[in-house]
Amino acid sequence: MKRFVWLFLILAVTLSFAARDVIVVGTTDKIRTLDPANCYDYFSSNILQNVMVGLVDYEIGTSNLKPVLAKRWEVNETGTVYTFYLRKDAKFEDGTPIDAHVFKYSFDRVIRLNGDPAFLLSDIIEKTEVVDDYTFRVTLKYPFSAFVSVLGYTVAYPVNPKVYPVDSFYEGIPSASGPYRIKEWIRDVRIVLEENPNYFGEKPKTKRIVINFYESASTLRLALETGEVDVAYRHLDPRDIIDLEGREDIVVYKGNSPQIRYLVINVTQPPFDNANVRQALAYAVNRSVIVEDVFAGLAKPLYSMIPEGMWGHKSVFPERDLQKAKSLLKEVGYDENNPLVIDLWYTPTHYGTTEADVAQVLKEAFEETGVIKVNLKYAEWSTYVEYFLNGTMGLFLLGWYPDYLDPDDYVWPFLSESGAKSLGSFYANPEVEKLMIEARKLTDQEKRAEIYYKVQEILAQDVPYIPLWQGVATCAAKKQVKGILLEPTQIFRYYILYWEE
Amino acid sequence: MSLKNYVITRIVLAIPMIFILLALIFLVLRIIPGDPVLAILGGKAPKEVIEQKRHELGLDKPIIVQFFDYIGDLLKGDLGKSTLTGRPVWDEIKERFPATLELTLFSFVIAVLVGIFWGSFAAYKRDSGIDIGARMFSMVMYAVPVFWFGLMMQYIFGIVLRWLPVGGRISPTVNLKVITGVFLIDSLFTGNWKALKDILEHLILPGLTLGLVISSVFVRMVRNNTVLTLGQDFVKAARARGLKERVVLFRYALKNALVPIFTMMGLQFALLLGGAVLTETTFSWPGLGSYLVMKIRYRDFPAIQGTVVFFALIVVVISILVDVINALIDPRVRY
Repeated sequence: MKRFVWLFLILAVTLSFAARDVIVVGTTDKIRTLDPANCYDYFSSNILQNVMVGLVDYEIGTSNLKPVLAKRWEVNETGTVYTFYLRKDAKFEDGTPIDAHVFKYSFDRVIRLNGDPAFLLSDIIEKTEVVDDYTFRVTLKYPFSAFVSVLGYTVAYPVNPKVYPVDSFYEGIPSASGPYRIKEWIRDVRIVLEENPNYFGEKPKTKRIVINFYESASTLRLALETGEVDVAYRHLDPRDIIDLEGREDIVVYKGNSPQIRYLVINVTQPPFDNANVRQALAYAVNRSVIVEDVFAGLAKPLYSMIPEGMWGHKSVFPERDLQKAKSLLKEVGYDENNPLVIDLWYTPTHYGTTEADVAQVLKEAFEETGVIKVNLKYAEWSTYVEYFLNGTMGLFLLGWYPDYLDPDDYVWPFLSESGAKSLGSFYANPEVEKLMIEARKLTDQEKRAEIYYKVQEILAQDVPYIPLWQGVATCAAKKQVKGILLEPTQIFRYYILYWEE
Repeated sequence: MSLKNYVITRIVLAIPMIFILLALIFLVLRIIPGDPVLAILGGKAPKEVIEQKRHELGLDKPIIVQFFDYIGDLLKGDLGKSTLTGRPVWDEIKERFPATLELTLFSFVIAVLVGIFWGSFAAYKRDSGIDIGARMFSMVMYAVPVFWFGLMMQYIFGIVLRWLPVGGRISPTVNLKVITGVFLIDSLFTGNWKALKDILEHLILPGLTLGLVISSVFVRMVRNNTVLTLGQDFVKAARARGLKERVVLFRYALKNALVPIFTMMGLQFALLLGGAVLTETTFSWPGLGSYLVMKIRYRDFPAIQGTVVFFALIVVVISILVDVINALIDPRVRY
């Protein structure tokens, strides 16, 4: 009898620690395309990051790059020729080896097809070469120190030439080279990932991941509460997150996000062509109310366009000071009797359900000066983009999600002459342009950081943008799901998830 | 006019109607602000990429050229490619439509059953509690927003009672071989009873939500028509002959009351397809309604046009079918 009790106990303990072979994830995101040459949205990239690999990847939990398909690489003295030495054991799921020919095929294909993310490669790559079967060389048009960071993005992932056509985008299921392969994909219903037997690296901790797609945040929350999904990843509403935090069976995870939100000021449009007006607005915004009241603490105030936690960041924008804002406006003739009347634009759905509240909070913050009157205006995303490119809007809310994790991606697109135009501020400053080009050429991180400090200081003086807050990545899951890591890179790795009773 | 000629005339007349509808949609989409290329690429992409994409999609051509290009392709059976995904619109419609059809048919059956039985019974028991209940039900359900009703259903049956799933078409862990795209049929074809049960469970809440909301029209119409018919001479004559009340109600009164209701059902069915939009969004139902909403948000011109044309065709086909069946039921109908 005693023996049976022991046997039973051992069995119970073993079973309780046994990993479940499937974890169900729910999301409100959608997959647009799984061809790296055309993939430029978060969730499609996220799937590719779990079924494919690139030359480099980020170390789990950090923003440090490590070699993956490249064993190592060399850069010439001028910083324009990169030679990658590839590992020899990497294969696609059908057994096709991933060699230098595959890389040349993939890079050239991205540039030729010129899909949405292609400019990340085509802007800087002069040519690609196969040195030998496992040595791949890339020559750049000009030295660009963030080039290896760009290679961490899915646009630079090699694709299987037997599957991906040379002259058109591919709409089918990718040929996997990463920990998972795609077993089933019913668009907008679910996608099933299962262990890739031909992957050279460590096996995933859970054999199968099922990702279920939901139309709204409220349904996703209900699905988590009723147990239909084990993990709810993107996008629960901030209030739902707070509610879920009170539940015993659910754990809420929070992590850094490189996503930033800011106000854009069209510096060519009156009255915003006056630096005093722009600085006054920067003094009047109330970041803490946005962060606490609208996002229930699930965001962080931001005082520079380079996010906190990234090297090169310096908090340069001032704290709230209504008196200072009033005196700056007084200098240019605005007071209680002659208030500054401005339009503030927002887009109601593109950034989630909280946007109208953010706009209202900003309006109240500006009007608290007593010398600013704000009219709130809104337009749907497709119209909004048209308006800011045409310079129709003078002051509006916008957000940024990086293509590569480098301060360059937070200053160049905003402050370079071409970038500022395409983001609606129409800002141009030759000194800033010169500094940013200089930083791009340098490889020494400290020297680059010094330059970015200067750029940020000029930004706080000229105020073509007012940084407002930095996102906090969130995820809610059943308490038995382990291995959830909200990384600074925003790569959500399904292959490290596992179930533990 | 014979029935055959009538059907041919209706089909011929439908062609310019669809053409006008298409022209209107085409024009409206291009007049309202919002650029599909910018909606996809945002401000991140360089100007050359934006211009190239616009050229690829033919959006840099004059509107009239774009229109005739589109009509030319349409006549060849090509609905174009989605600007958002780059996939043929027809493929996307084919993927989404079975979900909408499944939900619509299920809701329709609920609406008709509730409508006929409750409506006719209320008429028969005029001014009783059942009748007052039916009238209250019609009034409340007609006024209630479908998404709110859906949320309440989710809360009660999904969260509180935990009886039914709150979203999607099938549980993430249930495997189903997709053949037709109508999951109920696919599970029956493959003999997958576990999937069938799961699919039915997923269908109940959105189906009931939409079905009960639509049934409000039927309950009222069936009740009113049956009340009128019950007062007519042929019903009195039937009663006088000593026929059972059940026979009088169903074979005499209801059968005659159903002719105008049948036309209404046809129209309601066509409207249901479009009306499923809010239900689909509330229950994360991956059908054509939620597809259209997403595509409008992104100004995906070919997808919006394709979906509208597809809906229009369905409405035309259904209304012709309704007229034909009406003619067969009631020979007095002349064309």
